[in-house]
This record gives sequence, C-alpha cells and structure tokens, in this order.
Amino acid sequence: MLEIKNLHVKIAAEDKPILKGINLVVPNGEVHAIMGPNGSGKSTLAYVLAGRSDYEVTEGDILWNNESILGMAPDVRAAKGVFLAFQYPMEIPGVAGLTFLRTAANAVRKKRGQAEYTTPEFMKVVRERAAKLNIDIEMLKRPVNVGFSGGEKKRSEILQMAMLEPTLCVLDETDSGLDIDALRIVSDGVNALRGPDRSMVVITHYQRLLDYIVPDKVHVLAHGVIRKTGDKELAKQLETTGYAEFEGKAA
Amino acid sequence: MSVAIMKTKAELALAEQFQSALPALPGGPEVAKVRQQAIATFGELGLPHRRIEDWKYTDLRTAFKDPAPPSAGDAAKLTVGDLIVALGPYMDLDAPRIVFVNGHYRRPLSNLAGAEAVIVSPLSEKFERLTPAQSDAVTSLNTAFVTDGAVITIPAGVTLEKPLLIVSLTAGKDARLSTVRHQIDAGADARATLVELFITLPGSSPDQQTNTLTTLTAGDRASITHVKAASDGGRATHLSNWIVALGAGTLYRGFQMTSGLALVRNEIAALYRGEHAKLDISGVFLGRSNDHIDTTLTVDHAVPHCESRELFAGVLDGRARGIFQGKIIVRPDAQKTDGKQMARAMMLSPDAEFDSKPELEIYADDVVCGHGSTVAEIDEDLLFYCQARGIPADEARAMLVESFIGEAIERVEHEGLRHCLMQTATAWLNALPA
Ligand SMILES: Nc1ncnc2c1ncn2[C@@H]1O[C@H](COP(=O)(O)OP(=O)(O)O)[C@@H](O)[C@H]1O
Ligand SMILES: [Mg+2]
Repeated sequence: MLEIKNLHVKIAAEDKPILKGINLVVPNGEVHAIMGPNGSGKSTLAYVLAGRSDYEVTEGDILWNNESILGMAPDVRAAKGVFLAFQYPMEIPGVAGLTFLRTAANAVRKKRGQAEYTTPEFMKVVRERAAKLNIDIEMLKRPVNVGFSGGEKKRSEILQMAMLEPTLCVLDETDSGLDIDALRIVSDGVNALRGPDRSMVVITHYQRLLDYIVPDKVHVLAHGVIRKTGDKELAKQLETTGYAEFEGKAA
Repeated sequence: MSVAIMKTKAELALAEQFQSALPALPGGPEVAKVRQQAIATFGELGLPHRRIEDWKYTDLRTAFKDPAPPSAGDAAKLTVGDLIVALGPYMDLDAPRIVFVNGHYRRPLSNLAGAEAVIVSPLSEKFERLTPAQSDAVTSLNTAFVTDGAVITIPAGVTLEKPLLIVSLTAGKDARLSTVRHQIDAGADARATLVELFITLPGSSPDQQTNTLTTLTAGDRASITHVKAASDGGRATHLSNWIVALGAGTLYRGFQMTSGLALVRNEIAALYRGEHAKLDISGVFLGRSNDHIDTTLTVDHAVPHCESRELFAGVLDGRARGIFQGKIIVRPDAQKTDGKQMARAMMLSPDAEFDSKPELEIYADDVVCGHGSTVAEIDEDLLFYCQARGIPADEARAMLVESFIGEAIERVEHEGLRHCLMQTATAWLNALPA
C-alpha cells in the first residue's frame, strides 16, 4: 500500500514549492489515475516517488508497505518494487538494450534475494515479454532508446517494467505520443501486470488512456494539491469540462 | 644551434648513464657509433620542453626528473607463472608471444607456436645495424639506449591467423629504464594482428621507465591491425613512438590503450606512401590522480586518394591531465583525401584537465577533412534513469563510462582482444576512489 502524507516538495536548487501538501492512499491491487493541467506537479510527484535528487521533500512522508522510502536511493526503491515509467524516457548511447535490461533485472533480483537470470533464462523471458509488447528483439540490440520513435520509447519503458516485476507502478503520461494501436498494446501490457499485489499510479492528461486502463479512483492535481477525487466518471466529466475549474489558485 | 640552456639534472644523468652503460649495450662498433651520435644529438636538444610547439603541454624538463638507470640483462628472473599473472586475460587468447623483461629478450617466456608463417627474432640476436629513425630527443634516447626488441617480417601474401603478442614486462624492486625497439615489416598482401603489451609485474617498483619505438612498414594491400596496451605501472613513465608507413591500398588499424601510468607520451606518425590506403587509429586513455597522458598524432597524406580516421576517448579523474594533439597534413598532390579526427574526454572530477589541439595543414583543394573534440561529464539524468531501474550508482556510473570508451574499443575488430581491453578498462574503473 502506498501512503502519501502531507507531502511538500520544492526544487532542490531553488526555493520554488511545487507540491503543497499531497495526501493520497493507494491500496494494494488498486489503480489510481492522477489527472491535471500541465505544470500542476504530476511529474514532480512521480519523480519524488522514484527518488530523484533534484527535488527536496520539505514536509510530509511517503510510505510504501508501511515503510518510509524518503531516505532510500532510487535503486533501493526499485528493489523494493517501485517503478517509474518516464514521461520522457532517456537515451543511453553505447549501452545495448539487452545489456541494460539484464543488468537492471539482475540488480533488483539480487537485492530481492532471487537468483540472477542466467543468459538463456534471461533471453527466454525477455523474448516472451518483448513479443507481447510487439517489440522486435533486434531493436533491443541497439543502444537503449537511441533512434527510437516516441511510441517505441514508451513500449520500451513498459518492457523494462515487465522485466523488473515491480509492485508499485507509476506511469507518467505513458499515453502521450501514442497512436491508437500503440495505446492498445501498451495498455494490454499494463493491464497484464494488474493484480492484487500491485498498486498503480497512472498519470495522464487525457481521459482516453483510462478507457483502456480502467482506474479505481481518479484524482485531480492542480497547483500542487489534490483538488478533487472521484471514480472513473470524474475523468469522463473532465473530458467535457476541461480543467478550467482548477485553473485558479487553490483557496 | 640552440642557445645553451642550463642542463637539467636529468639531462646530465642520462649522459652519464649512457657512458657507463655503453660497453654492455649490444651491437658492434658501428652500432656504438650510431648510439654515440644519438646521445650527442640528445645532448644538443635536451629534454623537450613547453616552448617547443609539439611539447607545449608535456614539459619533460620539469616532469621527467629522475631517469632510472638503464636495465642490465641480469634483472628479474621471471617464471611462466609470473607471466601468466602479468598477462591476465591476454593468456586466454592462446596467442604466440615474444617476451622481453626490462628490455631484454626472454626465450623461456616466449612461445612462437602458431607464428611459424612469420619471421620473428629478437633484435639483440643480430644487432648489426641501428638507424636513428628520427632526430628528436626521445627517439635519440631510444637509439642511444636500445637493448632489444622484436624484429618481425611478415612475408608477402602471408596471413597470420592469431594475434602476435609482443610483451614488454617491467619488474624488480628497483626502478629501471627499459628501452626497446620493434621493427615490423609486412609484405604486400600480408595480414596480421600485432599486439604490444607493456605491463609492470605486481609487486615491482612503481617507478619503472620505458622508452619504446616501433617502426611498421606495410606493403601494398596489406591489412594490419596494430594494438598497444600499456597498463598498471603505478607512477611509471612511458615514452612511446610509432612510425608507420603505408603502401598502396593498405588497411591499417591502430589502437592504443593507456591506463595506470603517471607520465605518458604516445606519439604516432603515419605516412601514406601509396594511394587508396586507409588507416583507422583509435585509442583510450585513462588517467587518475596526477597522471599525465599525452597522445600526439601526425597523419601525413603525402599521396592522393587516402582515408584516415582517428577516434580517441579519455576518462580523467582526480587531477589527471589528458592531451590530444592531432595533426593532419594534406600535401599539395594529395587530392581526394578524406580525413576525420575526433577526441573526447569524460571528466570524473572538476580538477581533471583535457587539452585538445587539432591541426589541419591542408595544401590540396579537393579534400574532405574534419576534426572535433568534446568534453563531457557523467550525465546525472542518465545516472538517475539507471538507478531508477535498480542499478546501483557506482555500477551505473561504470556502465556509462564503459559505454563512453566502448565506442573507441569497438574499433578493434578482434573480439578476444576487445574483451581484454575492456577488462583492463573495467578493472581500472573499479579501482577508482569512490
Ligand atoms: N527540475 C525543475 N526545475 C525547475 N522547475 C521545475 C522542475 N521540475 C518541475 N518544475 C516546475 O514545477 C512545476 C510542475 O512541473 P511538473 O511536475 O513537470 O508538472 P506536470 O507534470 O504536471 O506537467 C512546473 O511549473 C515546472 O516548470
Ligand atoms: Mg509531466
């Protein structure tokens, strides 16, 4: 279970507050959507969950399975099951996709006390999971994300997620830049990971994704606070009204 | 004649050491005469210093203070066990080798099985002639002090299947100056991979000094890979020269890796003698603490229709300093020359320094030449991305640095060799202070 308590966050280098008291509970097995206008702090929340050091938590706490993760390095959080699918996946020139996936998968397996994949085991697993996401294994011989289209990068993120077998999946605008076919493939990939032991936070700007990944709850984040919470109908409603209601400063 | 400058202590010591070493140096009276001329040339020139344009960044007058005594033949008796330790992954190549210890041929450590198609002999066994090679200070010292080296002839049309290792070990509790000269002569259509290794045996004095010179001549259409890896010398000094001449239609792939040495000058001079030849010279230099690694390259396009590619990548930590000087000369007749050069450095510390000086001297008009140079740091965003995927920071950092130098190492075609080079680099990276 994820519990975010009165979370205040600023940019480490400046005195600019971005998140101003977020409270959010995502029980095991649930999918919560976070929607909101651009610049409201959605990516900031995602990065803080993953442990990016550019941000500083000034107040509040984040508990994952009853344990505060704030003092943990990003790789330790990853081993604890936290996974962030980046809004803008990064390119790593010179590191082959397969090498990266294997290094990452084995790093978390080792920390979780699981046996590391042997080469044949790894290849078998990666082949299966890549095929489900319609990713050509040849593509994974190239450097991570280098020269990939927007859609390919997003699928590559979901493959990394599938390989790392996280229990808290945070998806930051995984739908942006996807055409309808790619959206279906990615959503199927995400839905395949849904289960009673997994919590998901799905960040999106558009309601469209939530037709495929149906959320248990929808939260609207604006100006660094959660302004409204509802069920999937709230997302539909936002589709027609837009975020105008939340554009003004929080009271 | 240059203005008389006060001789440094090192210059005086070298002159003295030469006089006492001369009687024991190999070769007859003719050779001794060439040596004496060379030390006289050195006496006039003195150690190179920063007011000499080519030595702007590497002032040996200040950096090279204590010349070690030249090694005599009696130095360290090494066993095959020592050799195995020193060679590490290179043993797995199962390659023929000629081995020198402190600049002296060691038959019991050498094994030329697999190299029967080529003629390999130590210079000391028939030291009939000695040519000055060049007239600069460092090669003059080489000519004066040279004790041994590999003389390799690859006859026309012969293909050497396995790489041939030319191993120079330095060992012993006391610092010594080892001076070697290798001569490689590849006939027309010959194909070979030659690997020069410079390794200090663990437990030896960390202050070993080496002066090495290799001349390589490639006949028409020859295809030669030429690698040098110098590593693990602690505070060692390594002065190296390659003089390469390429015939028509040759393919020459050179690669140099330097790691764990304190004062290094790697000079390479390549000359095209025939048209339609291609060369690719790449390298990796790894510097930490106060290491100083200078790569100075001259590619002389003397004839038309030749291609040159250079890619050097360096990683610099601590207060290390890396230098890349790359000169491309295109002579008036050398139309259709295609020359490209790139030097990249990754800085792991704010106190490290990288100086890059490209020089294009182009006298022909129908040519394509380019050069570039970049300095980068580890990308913190990439580091976070790797960490978010579960990879610990130190492992992620090593992975990103390896990928940075990997691009240069990839230029070595022999997979086993690539693996050895990468292993040396990884070991160096893992030994860096956190
Ligand atoms: N690293 C950063 N440096 C400076 N400003 C930032 C940084 N990250 C986020 N911000 C600012 O914080 C606010 C929230 O950004 P973000 O979390 O990316 O919003 P969203 O994902 O909802 O569009 C924006 O005003 C943005 O400009
Ligand atoms: Mg965002």
